[in-house]
Amino acid sequence: MSKYILNRLLIAIPTIIGVTILIFLAMRVIPGDPLQLIISESDGVYVLSTEELQALRASLGLDKSYPIQYLDWMRQVLNGDMGSSFWNKEPISGMILRRGPISAQIAIMAVVLSWLVGVPIGMLSAMWRNSLLDHLSRVGITVFIAMPSYWIGLLTILFTVLVFTWRPPITIIQVWEDPIGNLSMTLLPSLALGLGLSAATARMARSAALEVLFEDYIRTARAKGLRETLVVWRHVFKNAMLPVVTTTGLALGGLLGGAVSVEKAFAVPGLGNLLVQGMTERDWMMIQNLVLLYGLIYVIINLVVDLSYAFLDPRIRYE
Amino acid sequence: MTRKPQEFQRARPVDRRAFLKIMAAGASASVLAACAAPAAPAEQAAAPAEAATPTPVPAPEPVTSSAGMMRPQGSPKQGGILRTAFGVTMTHFDAHQGGGTHVLCHMYNNLVRNNLVDGLRTIIPDLSESWEVGDDGMSYTFHLRSGVTFHDGEPFTAADVVATFNRILDPPAGVVSPMKANFSFVDSIEAMDDMTVRFNLSSPRPFFLNLLTPTNALIYSQKSLEEHNFDLREVIAPGTGAFRFVEHLPAEKWVMERNPDYWDPELPYVDGLEMLHVPAWSDRGTAVLTDQADMSWNVAKETWDEGQNRSDIVQVNKLANFGAYWVFINNRAEPFDDVRVRLAIHLAVSKQNLAAAFGTQELINITRWVPQGDPYATAPNVLATLPGYRAEKEEDIAAAQQLMTDAGYGDGLTDIELLAAAGPQGELLAPAFQDMLKRTLNIETEIRIVERALLGSEQQSGNYQLMVHTRGHGVSDISPRGNLWWRTDGSQNFGGYSNADFDALLDEIDVELDFDTRQGQVAEAQDLLDANPPEYLVGYTFHLPMWNNRVHGLALDERAFAEWGRMETVWIDEEA
Repeated sequence: MSKYILNRLLIAIPTIIGVTILIFLAMRVIPGDPLQLIISESDGVYVLSTEELQALRASLGLDKSYPIQYLDWMRQVLNGDMGSSFWNKEPISGMILRRGPISAQIAIMAVVLSWLVGVPIGMLSAMWRNSLLDHLSRVGITVFIAMPSYWIGLLTILFTVLVFTWRPPITIIQVWEDPIGNLSMTLLPSLALGLGLSAATARMARSAALEVLFEDYIRTARAKGLRETLVVWRHVFKNAMLPVVTTTGLALGGLLGGAVSVEKAFAVPGLGNLLVQGMTERDWMMIQNLVLLYGLIYVIINLVVDLSYAFLDPRIRYE
Repeated sequence: MTRKPQEFQRARPVDRRAFLKIMAAGASASVLAACAAPAAPAEQAAAPAEAATPTPVPAPEPVTSSAGMMRPQGSPKQGGILRTAFGVTMTHFDAHQGGGTHVLCHMYNNLVRNNLVDGLRTIIPDLSESWEVGDDGMSYTFHLRSGVTFHDGEPFTAADVVATFNRILDPPAGVVSPMKANFSFVDSIEAMDDMTVRFNLSSPRPFFLNLLTPTNALIYSQKSLEEHNFDLREVIAPGTGAFRFVEHLPAEKWVMERNPDYWDPELPYVDGLEMLHVPAWSDRGTAVLTDQADMSWNVAKETWDEGQNRSDIVQVNKLANFGAYWVFINNRAEPFDDVRVRLAIHLAVSKQNLAAAFGTQELINITRWVPQGDPYATAPNVLATLPGYRAEKEEDIAAAQQLMTDAGYGDGLTDIELLAAAGPQGELLAPAFQDMLKRTLNIETEIRIVERALLGSEQQSGNYQLMVHTRGHGVSDISPRGNLWWRTDGSQNFGGYSNADFDALLDEIDVELDFDTRQGQVAEAQDLLDANPPEYLVGYTFHLPMWNNRVHGLALDERAFAEWGRMETVWIDEEA
């Protein structure tokens, strides 16, 4: 097992390096000069002299060649330093540490919700295939998959503001500071995310369970006189969960880095909003580091998902 | 409209009477500032002046030596934290180099400031207690407030004022000074003694005091400037202001606390400020409506509408703003180098229709070149009759079509590029402008959408024909604006506009001290711009403040224009 993990981590290194090169180049290829935004921040357009522009460029390290800029960045990262924001000169690692828990919490709550809602619905739908319950759940699944979580978020905000004169807090409240306040901040975004994810999970659980239900070993289990609940729980459920784990694992990887659209809709000061702000301000260093973080999260989540297969399916061994 | 903080101020001229009053005040230079005793703030309120009536710089009046800041009427209560909702990010903390002064200003003072008591219609002392204007307006002498200290305990003196403005006028290498152009007529600044400072001008400027009122014209200490090699971008330098810095969480919030040593011992009323970073307009409005913030300077139209229906919770107002939407025209290249083509566009395109098309995003205040809120602005009832501005377009369109024919473009134009930023400008304003050009003048345009970050560089490099963009200035007076934007070779005249008549008239307007004469000159200048437009003015905007009913002392319901300014006079009263 440890050899497998080590191999996977070694394979991840070129992947991560590829991601860093891609985002580094993308930032410098797409239109939009961070200096232009910084110098026009207030009071209209101020025209910098060539010398002033050069000095500002140098202060951000942008006067160096691309390879040197890239190597400088990598050197910083390997030293555990993500550098500072172009925009406000604040350490990026500090901002990630402060906002990361909120984004992660919303993501985990959304995934938990998707399992609590999606898996039972998918399983029941498969067990009673073509029943009224199955038809209703399939309609519901289609509807919620089709509804963007951003749109659900906006409708939710509109509803709570107009009806209850309330909206989720817009400042960071960490769970260890004020659990109730934290829940009021993260619950609705989690619901908005979790509804679509629940539908996707239910759909995946249903199709996987249907596939398993027609396997020979299920027929054998029933022929042996095993009670249906045991058949479902011991044999159908565990085997049907493999694809569900895969899809929700990948979804979690995406959400842990911040669900950009939902954070925007609810004005949650998480990593997703930080990324949007970085893009708006052309804060290259911020974007590069956030994308690097997302890459790392994906790699780790993928590894965890793969390892979970061994738990769910004893036939799978990592040697 | 730009989402950046704006401290657009209305310019107030010094009219003849005011000028004489100020001169007379010079004879009694020992008297203190035009402030009232802090012990009786309710009695200090003056009757607000009419919005369109030019009001002079107030003459200093004798008051006690414990004079405090003039403040709006009411029964202020001490205590509480004021929470605000608007964007509070900034690239650095140096107000003179473009740092976000809508946040920083609370920690500092200016020499003079706009008067909240009459809705920002006059100028009152701040760190100066009184001032005198020299012969022919060639110098301004400020008598400084004594007993003022910076947050680090350093005493405030004339040397701080001199150091502050010398850096603005003559920035050292590596320091940028966007305000330098505004003060190009200041020859020197000298400390007459520890508490007196004089600005010597090369020629008089009736709007000089106005240039000292924007929140970015704040005073730093000489010590801070020298300690940091005159570059405060990475330093939150100590100020003399009513609030002291406590915490800054990037892109989240700023926290400030009451300065117990503030020179006005009664202020600030609140114990602190918590300025939340809420960049989206709609979130600002919902934050105030749902009591997560106490006030916002500018909220989304739809939340503002909701606020109008929730007077049990919040109050709203609509304030003239000095930033505008424009369609910039590149005068350097055909066909827009022909004044007839530019004039045809000015006449044919309906501002009312553009305002309606953009109404869901931001309210457009249809105005001439001088914005509403400025004493020289054209009155709305007059504006409604002027070609190019009136709602009835039939006659204007016919005239515009004739101009196009005279210019040789009677069949219209094709392949014209209309550049606009992604977002509402590109999605709403540009298509509406495109449609009206096509229908009225048969000008076919192709919209090119670019990131907002790119517009500035495209504009400066002249890489456009028509460009929808925003522009504003800290003061509303036509002189500083005209010199930057419309004077031949003005530093921000990116479209290459040149009008010798306008340049000559601007020279006169710059130095004219008599209000009536200047009013005629400004009207004439606006006529010249109407007849030979440098660009198409869509309109200035309104800012839409919203505040909880418990918030008092900011005169938000009485202001003549939008100013994202200081808050030491605010108080919170749950029961009022």
